[in-house]
This record gives sequence, structure tokens and C-alpha cells, in this order.
Amino acid sequence: MFKKELIFRNPLRIIGGESEDILPEGGFGAVVARAGVGKTPLLVQIALDSLLRTKNVLHISLDDPVKKICLWYDEVLRNIAHQYNVMQMDQLWEAILPHRFIMSFRVEAFSVPKLEERLTELTDQDIFLPQIIVIDGLPFDEAVKKPLSDLKVIAKDRSMRVWFTIRTHRHEKIGPHGMTGTLLHVADLFDVVIQLHPVKKDVHIKVLKGGLLASDQPPLVLDTSTMLIKDIVRL
Amino acid sequence: MMENDIRKVRNIGISAHVDAGKTTLTERILYYARRIRTIHDIKGKDGLGPTMDFMELEKERGITITSAATYFKWQDHEINIIDTPGHVDFTIEVERSLRVLDGGVLVLCSVGGVQSQSITVDQQMDRYRVPCIAFINKCDRSGANPFRVIEQLKEKLGHNAVAMQITIGLEADFMGVIDLVAMKAVYFDGDNGEHVRVEDIPVDLLPEATQRREELIDVASMFSDELTEAALEGEVPEKLLISVIRKATLTRELIPVLLGSAYKNKGVQPLLDAVISFLPSPSDVENQAYTMDNDETPVTLSCDPQKPLVALAFKLEDGPYGQLTYIRIYQGTLARGDTIVNARTRKKVRVGRVVRMHADQMEDVEAIPAGHIGALFGVDCASGDTFVSPGTSLTMTSIHVPDPVISLAIIPKDNKARVNISKALARFTKEDPTFKAQIVEETGDTIISGMGELHLEVYLERIRREYNADITTGMPRVAYRETITRRAEFNYIHRKQTGGAGQFGRVAGYIEPIRGEDFVFETRVVGGAIPSRFIPACEKGFKKCLKKGTLLGFPVTGIKVVITDGQSHSVDSSELAFQTAARGAFLEAYSKAGPVILEPIMKVVVETPPEFQGTVMASLNQRRGIIVGTQDEGHICVVEARVPLAEMFGYSTILRSATQGKAQFTMEFTMYREAPRGVVDELIKKAMEERKRVA
Repeated sequence: MFKKELIFRNPLRIIGGESEDILPEGGFGAVVARAGVGKTPLLVQIALDSLLRTKNVLHISLDDPVKKICLWYDEVLRNIAHQYNVMQMDQLWEAILPHRFIMSFRVEAFSVPKLEERLTELTDQDIFLPQIIVIDGLPFDEAVKKPLSDLKVIAKDRSMRVWFTIRTHRHEKIGPHGMTGTLLHVADLFDVVIQLHPVKKDVHIKVLKGGLLASDQPPLVLDTSTMLIKDIVRL
Repeated sequence: MMENDIRKVRNIGISAHVDAGKTTLTERILYYARRIRTIHDIKGKDGLGPTMDFMELEKERGITITSAATYFKWQDHEINIIDTPGHVDFTIEVERSLRVLDGGVLVLCSVGGVQSQSITVDQQMDRYRVPCIAFINKCDRSGANPFRVIEQLKEKLGHNAVAMQITIGLEADFMGVIDLVAMKAVYFDGDNGEHVRVEDIPVDLLPEATQRREELIDVASMFSDELTEAALEGEVPEKLLISVIRKATLTRELIPVLLGSAYKNKGVQPLLDAVISFLPSPSDVENQAYTMDNDETPVTLSCDPQKPLVALAFKLEDGPYGQLTYIRIYQGTLARGDTIVNARTRKKVRVGRVVRMHADQMEDVEAIPAGHIGALFGVDCASGDTFVSPGTSLTMTSIHVPDPVISLAIIPKDNKARVNISKALARFTKEDPTFKAQIVEETGDTIISGMGELHLEVYLERIRREYNADITTGMPRVAYRETITRRAEFNYIHRKQTGGAGQFGRVAGYIEPIRGEDFVFETRVVGGAIPSRFIPACEKGFKKCLKKGTLLGFPVTGIKVVITDGQSHSVDSSELAFQTAARGAFLEAYSKAGPVILEPIMKVVVETPPEFQGTVMASLNQRRGIIVGTQDEGHICVVEARVPLAEMFGYSTILRSATQGKAQFTMEFTMYREAPRGVVDELIKKAMEERKRVA
């Protein structure tokens, strides 16, 4: 019961609709921000939202070891449980843990063929069938177009949705609709782009592309003490 | 004589992954400190084995099982050192060592790097907030890469690790180290590297040494404005740099990393210098005891030999001269002839022989002052007991002792073996709190339980060898538990009237699941419905029921009992009547409360070459494992999973054959989880067969 409640009350629903995924099958989503603003916690919230809906999430990190990623999940879930007064944390964990798989790579050792090889191992042996992939720490340089295109094909073939974090820099150029420069050359591959940007002491969440956020919707705000999206009045 | 200036004492532990070379390192340390005259190597040609690995079994297997305390002098300092085991199954030994030590040396292999066991040991050091330095050993080995290991210390363990040295040559060409503080090259001459030769840095290594020194100063500057200023001015005094690194090491904000090869006799003496420079003296560490009243208020102990005694017995051994008790003195002085009190039993004990240990040899001393480690003879106590001066009512925190997760039956072949087994078990259970033994009333079987297959195997070997007992063993059994999943009410009347005094008691209330506790008892009875003198009997009655659940006879855990009402009789009510009523109430409610079987889940970490990653994951998956994640580290891949213990028997053999012997794994208990229906059905079937056999 509390799982359903958490799903319903998740502010992410405001971006993606009440029950559907924010992304279509084979779709790409991005969480864009400068370093230290809160990309990873938001990515973990997106992952947890899927996990609560018993979707299998493959979390790929190119920055952190497995232990640290687990700590992120612990922290974010604990904050969510605290915010919504969930007492049965252990049961919640036990329910979602079988649906999460973490892979950690050294950034220089990561490649799409390698990922595909790992995915094949997992699926062929019926170990884990990912429905959502979240990739944290992939460098979005000039060379990223090709691997992203290859990944798009794989995502479509396997009916997966893929979320990325993208680190931006202070002085980069801004494209149409406020699209960040780092993403301009690959923006066509993305269905949803969410930007985090600090405004005074808060972090605002702005949808740069896609999503269902109504134009008169007040901005979503990340609570910097819990790194959760603040629960706002629904329209 | 013991060192009087406590600032010149170090109590250190050496912890590492198995085969990282810590026993060889300890052997070299004792050699250079002139505590031993010759060097023996693990599984060496001389068949003697190192001094610290004194048990025959350890010598044969090339592993260290028992912590052996020893002391030696280095420069004008006195160092107490404990060699600790590397297998996860023996971590109670490691944990005990860390509890009583002030600093640690984390030994890592420069080829293997930070392996899963290093992570476990590091977590233990972290639990007891033990400051440590790292020693990257085996720099002479093919594939040695100490700076990769330093990166792993940062990435995998999250340490702020910084190199204090760089190597002169590497692998087969490893010749010595460059000290980045003194900016000198250090070579180790003589047959056993006993002559330390300090030279100028070879010209070809100067640029690298300068760069690494700058990195060291950069890291250290974070902890001192004075050092930052000195660095900006271009002149960093050696003394200042050392004191800043020491300060940061003591707070665990920095880990200085030393390099060498113990086997090739290189780098050990600078490591000892670093122990003195960077690890804390007993006076740098704050230790707490607790008052023995209900509040258990923490009291900070003072490392003052004049104050009343507070000491912790952290290890027992049964030697040829009776029980030897390893003891750490936190406050006061323990002297021969003193009368001390065991805080747990409140019994007075007269101190006979006081000794300092050197592996399996000993030296008699008059007294052990605060901050030191020593041993006592002829004192009857259990591991973890606190000793205090008469009139002092303090206890040290009890050492965290996990519950055993695996058990097996041992069957003696003859009567002589039966007698010897009982002697052996009496000793082992006293020495090792994670090892337990009991006799099952129904079957008469002796059951031993512990922390893993290897843990039990080692004790079985010791029973056979040291006690000459011929035994056979049953199949290992998992320590299942029972618990309830929902609230259920009870209202039970116990009434018996069969002539003479009758029995009467009624208890009403409910039971409900509770997390994180075995048993909680609460009474909300008002108006004397149950007289207060019978409440403890009710609690006792419920508690007795927890020993054996009615589902399959496993111990019951995670249950809260609340009594809300009851009834008594002025003549017929008694403690026995209410105990029996509580039992009836428990049985009434338990079956309604959705009882389930819990099984122990282990955290399993497998390190494998990447080409076997899929095979390893499949092998864990087949064992009902949930794979938490995989970590790709280039030459090696780490797979972490949660697997039921019941599925892990014989896994080492299976893993070996599936990966051509190239993968290894560690396993430790993590939690209890509800067992699936299939497992429970199987257990029910087995229990029925067992009942038939007994009948």
C-alpha cells in the first residue's frame, strides 16, 4: 500500500504524468547541471521511482564504486521514507532490491560494445532484464555522438529507457530553448532534458525538452538538505 | 622494564587480506627489532615457519588464525604488536585486536591491490576509528604497481591516501625507496637487509620524487595553514611536515602509504619509523568505560598508571601452564600480587604471574601500566571481561559478537574421544565467543556453531590434532530462525485443580513483530489485575517459549509481547502458574501471528578475471543470490551479491572449477530474511524425517 502511495505522491509524476514513464520505450532522458548541484541524487530518485513500480533498473556509474552508489540509494530512500512517514523501510528495501543492478566501470574502460556484452550476459542467463538504465558520469564530449547513437539502437531493440547525467560548465554557450551547449550536438537523440540550476539557496528543476510540465506549473525545486524534489501543490 | 613515558608506546595491529604478506612482514619487524635471531618464511624450506604463526595448523596451511601478541623496541619506543588473521571467518579475532589497539598497519599487495578482504578489514578499522598507515608490500613481484594500489585506496575505500615514498626500481629491479619527507634514497644492505644505507636521490628519479613530494605537501597542506605558508615560501621543514601528517592520520583524515617488500627485506625499517611518527600513543586515544548502574553512563578513562585499574581481557588461550589471559590496561596499573575484581562476576581475583608475550614465548614482569598490553596466568575469566580495582564500578564496552550462522553435529568414535571433545569445546568456546557448542537433549548430539564453514573446519582440525579425538561430522546446518509477521491477541487462563493447592493465572494481551530486537516485553496491566510479583514470571514464561518456535522448532526472534490484562487468585496463583499461563498464551497467539522461517543471508564478494564474470554471476544466481552490483577494474571484476547461507556450502570448490581457480570470494553474515516457500517445505520434510529417526 505504501509503495503505491509513494509512487502517487512522487513529484516526478508532475513531469511524466500520473502513471506512465516519463520516457517512451527506447527513449533517452538527461539530467543536466554543473558539478555538485545534485544530478546523482535526482537520477537516483528517477531510478527509485521506477523501482517502486517494480521496473528493473540497471544503474551504471562511471565515477563511483558500487558501495558509494548503494549509499546514495540508502540516503535518498531514507529521506523519502522520512518525508512520507514510511515505517516499513526494511520491507521496502527487500521489495525493491531484486529489481536493482549496479555496474561500475572506470570511465576510460567503458564502451557501448562492452555494455552490450554485459547486457547479453545478464539477459541470456536470465540474471537480470533491465527496463530502465541510468548512466552516471558519461563524458559528453565531441566523440559521444557515435556511442550514443549505438546505444539508442540497443535501447530500442531491448525496449529500454535510458537516463543520463550530463555535467555542464559555467561558460558554455546556450542554444535554442535554453538547451545547454554540451548537449546541443546530440540533443536530437534525447526525448526529455531536465536542467538543475541553482537559484540563490535553492536548486530549480527546469524541463528544457519533452515532459508534460504545464506552462503555469510553479517551478519544481530540489530541497538542498534532502536533495529530494520538494512536494508541491498539484495542479 | 616497561616504558614509563606513555608517549613512547605504540599498540598496533597488522591487518590485511590473506596472502598480502603480513606474517612475513611481522617476522621481519621482529628480526630488525632483534626479538628473533633468524628469519623463517611461510612454508619455508626449513619447515619452521614464522615466529608469529605459532600454531601447527597455521604453519601447515600458511595462514594465521590466532592473534599472537608480542612487543619489541624500536628507536627508544616500545611497540606492542598483534598479528591478526586474514580470513573473514576469523574476523572476531581481527575485531578484538582492533578494539584494544590504538593504531593499525593495513598491508596491501602491490599486485593484488585492495581486495575484498581488505575492504572488510578496513570497515572494521573504521568501526573502531583506528588510525592507520598503509604498507604496500611485494613491490618486487611481477606486475607490482604501488600507485595503482594507492588509487584503489582512494577509490574503493574512500581514503585520503598519500605516498610517503616512491620505489627505486620495481618488480625484479626493486632496490629501495625514496623518502619524500627527507628527500633521500634509502637502500637495504646485508644478507637480510639489516643495514640501512641513506644516499642522495639518483638523478634520474629526482623529477618524479620532486613531483610526488609536491603532491604530498599539497595533501598535507589541507590540514595546516602553517604548512601552506611554508610551502608557498618554498621551504617546508621536515619536522613540520611530519607533525601535520601525524595530526591528520590520528583523526583518520589521511593515510600515509609506505612501500616495500618484506620478503626481499626492503622498506620494513622505514615502516617502523612511520609507526612511531604517525600512529598514536595510548595517550592520544580517548577510551571510554561505562558505569555499571542502569544508565551505563560513559566515563572517559585516563591513561594514568596511578588511577584505579580498568583493564580488558581480550583474548584467552589454554597453554601448557594453564589459562593465559591477554589483557589491555586502559587506566591504572596491574601488578603481581594485586587483588582485582572481575566486573562481570564481581569476583575478586589475586594476580599471580604477569607476563609480556612474544609469540609463544613469554617474559615475566612485575607490573603492566596503563596503555600497555600483557598477559596474566591462572585467572579464570571469559573473553571480553573487564577487570577493575576493588571499589571501581566500571565496565568496558562489550565487544560486538555476532551470532553464529552455521552449525554441524560432531560424533565421537569412542568414549575417549567423547571426553576429549568436551575438554576441547570447553576451551574453544571460552577463547572464541563466536564459536558455540551445545548438546541437543532429544538426540544427544553435540552441535558446534560458528561464523562459516572454514571457521568450523579449523576447530574440527584442532579437536582432532590437539586433543587426539577421533570424530566424524554431520552435514553443516544453517541457523534458521522463526518470527511473526502480524499482531495477534491472546487471552489464556491456566487453571489446574487436581487435589492439593491449585494453579490459576490468566494473561491477556497481544504479540506483534518488532525489528532489530530479539524480544521486547511490556506490561500495561492496571489495577493489579496481575499482581506485580507475578509479572517477571509472565516474562520468563514468554521468554522460555522463544527458544523453540512451534513452526519448526527454531529460535524465535523479533517479537514484542504486551500484556494488557489478567487475573489472579489469592490462593492458587503462583509464579509457576503464571509462567505456564504465559506459555499457553504464547502458543495461542503464535499460530495466529503468521509465523515464518527466516534464513541467514550472506554478503558474498567474488573477485574474478573479467572473462569469468558471466559464469560467476550465473553461479550466484543459481544459488538464489541477488546480485547487488559488479565493479569493473580492468584486470579484475568484483561481483557483490546477497546469497542465502544454505546455498553456499561447497561454493569454494564450485567457484574454483568454474574459473580455473582464478576467482576468489569472501562471505560474511549480513541479515536474516524470510525463507521462500520451497525452502520451508524442504525444511518441514527434513524435520519430519528427523522426528521419525528419533522415534
